[in-house]
Amino acid sequence: MTEPLLRVRDLKTYFVTEQGSGTARAVDGVSFEVQPGETLGIVGESGCGKTVTSLSILRLIPEPPGHIRPGSFIEFEGRNLLTLEPRDLRAIRGNQIAMIFQEPMTSLNPVFTVGDQIAEAAIVHQRLSHRAARTRAIEMLRLVGIPDPEERVDHYPHQMSGGMRQRVMIAMALVCHPKLLIADEPTTALDVTIQAQILELLDRLQAELGMAVILITHDLGVVAGSADRVVVMYAGQVVEQAPTAALFARPLHPYTEGLLASVPRLDAPPAREHGRLHGIPGQVPAATAWPEGCRFHPRCPYAWDRCRAEAPPLLDAGGGAEPGTHTVRCWLLTDPRRRTPHP
Amino acid sequence: MTPALVDVRGLVKHFPGERRLLGLGPPRAVVRAVDDVSFAIAPGQTLGLVGESGCGKSTVGRAILRLIEPDAGRVTIDGQDVVTLGARALRALRRRMQIVFQDPYGSLNPRMTVHQMLAEPLAIHRIASGADAERRIAALLEEVGLDPSFAQSYPHELSGGQRQRVGIARALSVEPNFLVLDEPVSALDVSVQAQVLNLLADLQQRRRLTYLFIAHDLAVVKHIADQVAVMYLGKIVERAPAPTLYGSPRHPYTTSLLSAVPVPDPQAQRQRIVLAGDVPSPAHPPPGCPFHPRCPHPKKDARCRTDPPALREVAPGQLAACHFAEEPL
Repeated sequence: MTEPLLRVRDLKTYFVTEQGSGTARAVDGVSFEVQPGETLGIVGESGCGKTVTSLSILRLIPEPPGHIRPGSFIEFEGRNLLTLEPRDLRAIRGNQIAMIFQEPMTSLNPVFTVGDQIAEAAIVHQRLSHRAARTRAIEMLRLVGIPDPEERVDHYPHQMSGGMRQRVMIAMALVCHPKLLIADEPTTALDVTIQAQILELLDRLQAELGMAVILITHDLGVVAGSADRVVVMYAGQVVEQAPTAALFARPLHPYTEGLLASVPRLDAPPAREHGRLHGIPGQVPAATAWPEGCRFHPRCPYAWDRCRAEAPPLLDAGGGAEPGTHTVRCWLLTDPRRRTPHP
Repeated sequence: MTPALVDVRGLVKHFPGERRLLGLGPPRAVVRAVDDVSFAIAPGQTLGLVGESGCGKSTVGRAILRLIEPDAGRVTIDGQDVVTLGARALRALRRRMQIVFQDPYGSLNPRMTVHQMLAEPLAIHRIASGADAERRIAALLEEVGLDPSFAQSYPHELSGGQRQRVGIARALSVEPNFLVLDEPVSALDVSVQAQVLNLLADLQQRRRLTYLFIAHDLAVVKHIADQVAVMYLGKIVERAPAPTLYGSPRHPYTTSLLSAVPVPDPQAQRQRIVLAGDVPSPAHPPPGCPFHPRCPHPKKDARCRTDPPALREVAPGQLAACHFAEEPL
């Protein structure tokens, strides 16, 4: 097996809450790896810790109120990002690891042209001259499929549509040919036809540039179409991790199962013929007070005494899966007969 | 066939372009937000109105309720003409028709408790007061799946799903028979979205409600709608019973929209049509068929660039505005 590009181990990112009354354990012991060139999908609902995880990788967590706990470990190409000097970190951030955010409106600076914003990273990291950087910016705009790049390079963000702005964000992120791109809900703010364009663009660029991608999303459909492997997060933890095909064919964590049953599907029979969506009762608990035992037990249809008392570790899925490839944080794996919901 | 509860004919809403340069310059182009939209909804049924941002679907919902004044067209609810009503009669009719908004954060008054929000419509429409009002408020909360103790809460103390339930309870408080649901689940997490969709389906059955369900998410609409209308640049481009529209769409825009929705199944073998370009501005719609610049239909020709296609019946119950509706993608 090749050496992973990124290795996250036991990441804990906590926040002191405003009232000073408690600590929000937003990310609480998360581990995963990203191989060179692969797409890792991270899925979960709001408040599960997926965005804090990605910000922690780039050390973009505001301190205070946040802090990454000692014992956490984020290794990129063999170097621990958490102990790097700021200067060395800057050489990686925006250069070898780049990020695109959900809101292309707020992540672009309204008073600079898009060309200036794309060129900036090339000037800083690769010491290109302004002229060379401008040429590079035009190349990047062409790469991300913006028509008339020579003209568009001098436009301001407000002169562009939402889809075009997201393309500019991608151009900015890719200008230094990063080895890892973190895309945090890159298509959530976009219409579905524009989303399809952006997902196709990311696929194409990944194949052309050979980079790895962490794709953070709440949309299981996006993950199914784009990711090689999936990490499912709930309440600050990884609850299931598997190759994409295995996860959708055999979702083992009751949360993954519930999430899949909640999604209205285009490939389902039309209304009035199929009854109700299943949904998951209740809501995601607050990060200041995760439930005892398994954090999903108050919403779980299978929970029994052990789930209320003891927090489950990540267990191997078994059933023919190679050890370590499909893991699930659930006691059901020790007692599969219990997978029948209570009446 | 039962007569329609809601009947919309030739609805038009144009927003005037503002004048440039301190109001002295030449006026900007008129935005044709809603351009000759017609549909009917039978009692107890749901019409799903879908389209991308800026297609005019929310404007349709608001113009029907006269939250914004339509420029032309006829809207009748249970035989009563909504457009020509005077203020007093309109207020009375509002008991029959209510709206639930997308943003459960922006549509609830942060300074009012849930109790106050539910008591207000009861008082305005003189439906109930005192002990009777208390009883109704408790019953409403229960009906939308909230514990009556939530009555004393302020919106900031509630989760997104709970707020949307309050929004629904508020709309139901005056016992309407028609609800405009404007992206009611778009802001919710998927597990909560399923709960709210189930709630809406239950309420519809129990109270025999008629819904206009406005959404951008075709999978959500498929789940709840009996009839579906697809809008593009202010016009309905296709309208059909849901099974027909999803099973054999006739307009290339509908086909493209359907193919763009990500399906949570990695094995799904689908031919994805990726539309080029952005939606044109409704202030400058393209001549001819408004969809022609992005249309992937292999046969599109000069006619599409000059001749706006009429919305016509192309199969029993199915209307499409495309010159090539007989040869769908």
